[in-house]
Amino acid sequence: MEYLWNLGQLIAQQTVNGITLGATYALIALGYTMVYGIIQLINFAHGEVYMIGAFVGLIMITTYEVNFFVALLVAALVCAPLAMLIERVAYRPLRGSMRLAPLISALGVSIFLQTLMTLIQGPNPQGFPKVITDTVYLLGPIKFSLVQVIILVIAALLMVILNLIVKYTRTGKAMRATSQDYDTARLMGINVNRTISFTFALGAALAGAGGVLVGMYYGSVHPFMGVTVGLKCFCAAVLGGIGSIPGAMLGGIFLGVAEVLGVAIGLGTYRDAIAFALLILVLLFRPTGLLGRPIQRKV
Amino acid sequence: MEAIFDFFSNPYYIQILTITGVYLIAALGLNLITGITGQFSFGHAAFMSIGAYTSSLLTLYLHTPFFLNLLLGGIIAALFGVLLGFPSLRLTGDYLGITTLGFGEIVRVVFINTKITGGAFGLAGIPRETNIILVYLIVVLTIISLYLIKNSRFGRGLVAIREDEIAAEAMGINTLFYKVEAFAVGSFFAGISGALYAHLIQYISPGDFGFSRSFEILNFVVIGGLGSIPGTVVGTAILALAPEFLRFVQEYRMLIYGALMVLMMTFRPRGLLGGVDLFQVWRNFRHKGLREKI
Amino acid sequence: MKRKWYLFLLVALMSAALVVSGCGSNEKTTAGDTIKIGFLGGKTGNHAHYGIETLKGMQMAVEDINNAGGLLGKKVEIVEGDHGSNSSEAASVTQKLITQKVAAVIGDPTTGITKLAAPICQSNKVVLMSAGAVGTGVVELGDYIFRDCLLDAVAAPVVTKYLAEDLKWKKVALVTTTGLPYSESLTSIFKPALDKYGIEIVTEQNIMEKDNNFSAQVTALAQKQFDGVIFTGYYNEGALFMKEMRKQGLQQVMAGGDGLLGKELYEIGEEAVEGSMVYTGFAVDTNNAVEKTKDFIEKYQAKNNNAQPDMFSAQGYDAVMLIADAIKAAESADPTVYREKLVQTKDWKGVTGTISFDANREPIKSPVYLLEVKDKQFAVKTVIPVTD
Repeated sequence: MEYLWNLGQLIAQQTVNGITLGATYALIALGYTMVYGIIQLINFAHGEVYMIGAFVGLIMITTYEVNFFVALLVAALVCAPLAMLIERVAYRPLRGSMRLAPLISALGVSIFLQTLMTLIQGPNPQGFPKVITDTVYLLGPIKFSLVQVIILVIAALLMVILNLIVKYTRTGKAMRATSQDYDTARLMGINVNRTISFTFALGAALAGAGGVLVGMYYGSVHPFMGVTVGLKCFCAAVLGGIGSIPGAMLGGIFLGVAEVLGVAIGLGTYRDAIAFALLILVLLFRPTGLLGRPIQRKV
Repeated sequence: MEAIFDFFSNPYYIQILTITGVYLIAALGLNLITGITGQFSFGHAAFMSIGAYTSSLLTLYLHTPFFLNLLLGGIIAALFGVLLGFPSLRLTGDYLGITTLGFGEIVRVVFINTKITGGAFGLAGIPRETNIILVYLIVVLTIISLYLIKNSRFGRGLVAIREDEIAAEAMGINTLFYKVEAFAVGSFFAGISGALYAHLIQYISPGDFGFSRSFEILNFVVIGGLGSIPGTVVGTAILALAPEFLRFVQEYRMLIYGALMVLMMTFRPRGLLGGVDLFQVWRNFRHKGLREKI
Repeated sequence: MKRKWYLFLLVALMSAALVVSGCGSNEKTTAGDTIKIGFLGGKTGNHAHYGIETLKGMQMAVEDINNAGGLLGKKVEIVEGDHGSNSSEAASVTQKLITQKVAAVIGDPTTGITKLAAPICQSNKVVLMSAGAVGTGVVELGDYIFRDCLLDAVAAPVVTKYLAEDLKWKKVALVTTTGLPYSESLTSIFKPALDKYGIEIVTEQNIMEKDNNFSAQVTALAQKQFDGVIFTGYYNEGALFMKEMRKQGLQQVMAGGDGLLGKELYEIGEEAVEGSMVYTGFAVDTNNAVEKTKDFIEKYQAKNNNAQPDMFSAQGYDAVMLIADAIKAAESADPTVYREKLVQTKDWKGVTGTISFDANREPIKSPVYLLEVKDKQFAVKTVIPVTD
């Protein structure tokens, strides 16, 4: 009986840890899913935007000694125009050409940004200062650290704001229209270029904030941190059904929890494979992800 | 003349030409899957790793002859290619791409966790069997077989699938069979390439075949021009040699490499030789020459 | 219009090829005037940190040699081979260094790249001196392959002896990161050593890399009596493990290898890792350092804005000096000749301590520095000489 109680407690605790991890995944996955939804592009440079966000946060905190929340905001504000620039230089000239062209271009951007950051900041991991105290809250037998609470609250807040923007603003409406039908949206007088730029900016702002949160949670940042995380978050987006905003949130959380529980049951060395194995399984049964719309095959 | 002799007596040039040839074999295989058949595959390096580990383990533990191991490396990789070809029935486009990427990562993690493959430390002490003549002999064989495939009934079926899968199916093409076969053949070449790689570098570890290598090979194919066999050759030659040529810029090397990728794509979105028929170019050239004579 | 493109491309390729072959022939003419030493390592890519530090140390060594009149009357020169932390490039780069007629290839601190470069160096009979490959099966790859780093097989037993005799540890808990080759092999070295010096392992716990919740393992520890924890994993998990121990009221400290060495240990672990012990082959210890080491540290700091040298730069420095001394002793920069002298290296004094090569060409390094976390800094607790 006590064994079962301990096991239950362990699972509950790990689920909480998993949700925290998943919330940061979700923030980054949203950028992938929005961009994909609007121009069907896998934006492989998104992971690098997240990395740059983490570095901006680090520099703000160590050099300018600003408050953590200010650093979060600055990171988001730096990443947004960066992503717009990337879109303008590397993707817009390729709109309408074959599918793999912007993908290769995105990989080029990603190599460029990694090298740039290595040149500026040096290649070794840098410690992220402890800006939040290690207070632990107890909810029954489950422990929440203050960092976890902050991550969950900020992630939830950002997602709510995103939903409000997409649902109730004119630009949000334009985004949804463009993603449904690019040409018709243009005919209706929507400035699609501006809408696409805005989508990139929005996704990048979330990723930048995500970078700072992850940097704080794990305590270190380095120029190659965006690679695996970017890939995993893209997985999360596909898992939830790419193009769907609630799908990305669900996918992120799902992946985070699955990973942490996988480690808990002793699959730790397979940690990086869990995300992909899960993804393949889901795709085989639901080819467009958990919440994705079925693909229309036109004859 | 002396310069040419110098060039071919320099082991460093031989080494980079050989490794370029090894990558070219894998890239040609990927061109069949992604370029000719139009199926996204982001996990091509995984097939290389399967070929590399298969042949190395056979050489190290069973001491079977190298050519047999090379062939078996290709065949085992092809079997996994068949396995991966089946999801392509249900998945299309980017979804297939991400599945193959996931497959590649799973293969890598499995190799890390396997005792016999040396885990994360990899396999060392593989005898050197690969040489430049063998590699380019296989490159030529690969190119010939790809041309034969491309111009066969089977190859036209593959192109039909790329252009319009539903129409191809309506025309009586067994799309599942064709796609699986394309994956098998493409993976076979990747396996051969991996086996050659292992017996050239003499040390392999799972990290050598991660997704970044897969994307590197995809780069070769896309920048050369999807579906174009000469394009793959040119793309691989340029991109595999670029890091060596760019050595003089030192630590800015990869910065330029990344920028170069973006530039090449934005200036030629279909790749360097994409949509260009070299025979046509040659014919035009000759006709022009004839006309000038008359 | 289109055709011009290819023409242009072709010309560009050709000229690039010419430039490269041009470089090759230039180098040949200068071969006799200097002794070249190849640097193999990543100046870019994800292992760049190790590569850059190793190179810094090597450059300092070359500077010192040249200021003292060179080697055999010739200047020493470093030929850099940056492999961008990419394995297939590393093979080409090694080959390139050998083509440029280097007397030795020094470098890559990572075990993987060293193993990759080893057969190339071996078949060309060029000495490869790795400044940091601590993994197993490195020098077995050939009799031209060397390394100058502190091996766990040397360090763990002397540290265990110190724990048993000076700190009077009788019982320990042994924590291993399963699936992490470094940790598993270190555990297998610690076990017989603990046994030899009469320390009892009261419990063995396994954790996972990148895991961040160790409550189950620590709960198991809490039911035993022990003097300290032997932790064979990396700093990240080490820090979090200690935190969990403090949370559950356990006050013992841990000891482990240089996998724990990193400022992240106390940045993450904070008060919980105070008193934790880490051994390493090189430490900035200005109070006890010999003249040579002090000199090295000062020069390094003068060049690098007062930053402290780490293990990699010191090992890079020593690697060049080891080779240089062997060349001097053999009066030849030919690897096939000076290798004989290099093998005989005994009680050689470098900035990281004393190095001898045993019968299998494995380095026996003395002393071992045992560091202790004190006020969020690594401080030298003791310096243990390696006697046998």
